[in-house]
Amino acid sequence: MDRIIKNLDSVFEPKTVAIVGASATPNKIGNVLVKNFLEAKFQGDVYPVNPKYDEVLGYKCYPDISSIPGKIDCVIIATPAETVPQIMEDCAGKKVGGVIILSGGFEEINRNDLAGKIREIAEKNDIPVVGPNCLGVFNPYTKVDSVFLPTYKLERPKAGGIAFVTQSGAVGSTVMDLAAYYGLGISKFISYGNSTVLDEADYLEYLLHDKETETIILYIEGAKNGRKLFEAMKKVNKVKPIIAFKAGRGRGGQAAARSHTGNIAGSYLAYQAAFKQAKVTEADSLDEVFEFVKIFNQPKPAGNRVAIITNGGGMGVITADCIEDEGLILAQFSEETKKEIAGILPSYGSVANPLDLVADAGVEAYSKAIDVMLADKNIDALVIIILMQTPPIDERIIHVLSRVSDMQKKPIVTISIGGTYTEASRKILEGKGVPSYNSPNAAVKALDRFITYARYCDQLKKIK
Amino acid sequence: MTLLDDFRLLEKNGFKLLPYALTKSEDDAVQAAKRIGYPVALKIVSPDITHKTDVGGVKIGIKDEQILRHSYQDIVQSASGKRVDGVLVQKMARKGVELIIGGKKDPQFGHMIVLGLGGIYVEIFRDVSARLCPLASADVDEMVAELKTHPLLEGARGKKPIDKKALEQLVLRACRFMAQEDIMEMDLNPVVFDENGCDIVDARFSR
Repeated sequence: MDRIIKNLDSVFEPKTVAIVGASATPNKIGNVLVKNFLEAKFQGDVYPVNPKYDEVLGYKCYPDISSIPGKIDCVIIATPAETVPQIMEDCAGKKVGGVIILSGGFEEINRNDLAGKIREIAEKNDIPVVGPNCLGVFNPYTKVDSVFLPTYKLERPKAGGIAFVTQSGAVGSTVMDLAAYYGLGISKFISYGNSTVLDEADYLEYLLHDKETETIILYIEGAKNGRKLFEAMKKVNKVKPIIAFKAGRGRGGQAAARSHTGNIAGSYLAYQAAFKQAKVTEADSLDEVFEFVKIFNQPKPAGNRVAIITNGGGMGVITADCIEDEGLILAQFSEETKKEIAGILPSYGSVANPLDLVADAGVEAYSKAIDVMLADKNIDALVIIILMQTPPIDERIIHVLSRVSDMQKKPIVTISIGGTYTEASRKILEGKGVPSYNSPNAAVKALDRFITYARYCDQLKKIK
Repeated sequence: MTLLDDFRLLEKNGFKLLPYALTKSEDDAVQAAKRIGYPVALKIVSPDITHKTDVGGVKIGIKDEQILRHSYQDIVQSASGKRVDGVLVQKMARKGVELIIGGKKDPQFGHMIVLGLGGIYVEIFRDVSARLCPLASADVDEMVAELKTHPLLEGARGKKPIDKKALEQLVLRACRFMAQEDIMEMDLNPVVFDENGCDIVDARFSR
């Protein structure tokens, strides 16, 4: 790993943070930034920088970077673009660890001259720079937070294993807010904007070595260096699954092509090829990003034989259709399983896959049936449908499902469709790390992508 | 570059093409067809015509001299008012599944290969799969499997599966070719496959 990438440690795990452009005026970006560190009880030292103030939110304020005593690990810059090159010089002089530039006004408005100066200083001094023109980073483990959207409007997710790398700040902030809402735990949030110094491939490389990161979401509009991204995706995805979402797929503005191939093969086709060759899981929408990512916390399945458990026949049928559409297989239960399940079912029930526990089924029946299936070698993954509306189902089902999910024996996905009560239950499940869906199609598609990735990992093992 | 230059460059790079000759007159074409052997196809060669079929610039399955002479006149007429380099006489390809093996140099990702059901409807159905160069043989298998029309390649309706080895070799050769000659865009279209191999019927590329 290049030294400049390694130095991102200073950005994500700083002991000291300077905020250039700090403000004492409420709701100004420079004020929100300082507040982020204050409210999150950041354990290190915080130095607001602004010649206008002596103090910001109780922190002593400094006129510039150079006048701060001692070492600075991370500098967050939120001042106009023209001022940034000089601040970068100060950072280099002060030997700071890393820099986040939130300010816009660089490549995106053709001020490549300003961007060029930043790059030059950064590369000469091995200073990693996140941005400019971005939201920067959030690390729930260390509470570093340069996201200048107030926490009462944009909740911060809890600590977990999902890293989120996004070119767009707007998409990034929305995903982060939703991740918090659904209780998904994240390891690192990186909004990298113009990628003037470090690009998406560099962040993937960093996350490969990041001990908290298990799964990576990549939102990309246009890569800075496609081949470099491709190579990075290939390397990282072998160890940590990447879920990629490419926006800006239109073929508008494509130069008139002389050949059929030129006409068909827009830039998005090249991205698709790159994703496929790197075996990266491609999401088609923001919804799919969430649907896919939440199953990757499950243990990898050994194959594609799926058992369905339900307390409503129709939902089982719909889900079985989805299984077939995605090319997965309905598992054949072992004789042992059949016998044990017959003991769980009421006299009018029948042993089949989908297994309909019928509407009388209580939490006990689910618990028993799931345990039997976890032990069956003919079953690789479980789809558990729970109609929360039936009388015998109560909140104990949540404990059962989170117990099964925590056991990490086989991957499970759960499906519950309904209104307020059901959605509230689903939210609790999500918070406990149980993959929960309100659509059989989405659940089975996510399972399919997970199985595909697991198969790839198996192949890698065999090659070794 | 003329069509003939294109063909020669392909041959130089190891592609095997159907026997062909560029002819400048009707009698010339008759002689060429005799040498190549019927049945043959005639194709207009003009820098002004990109999609030859659309203007009636292609005649196929010509069995004898009489039909050849008629066809020749028709073709030349179809190109009236346009610059014409000549008429290509080409051995008729085998019957089978028509594929396109395309290539492109993407500004971000560099050379890529596009595989799809070929012929004249390729831009309408857009049933294609793509991979970045260089490819491994496993990539070619995946590209085939991704096509919606892949059952046609696997031998639908009592047909034998196409020669996958020939497809793989052609795709890998196309990759090397694009790198070697720094090709911007390439169409090998159609390439006709049956169980015993393939014939490249038409090709175009730009550098």
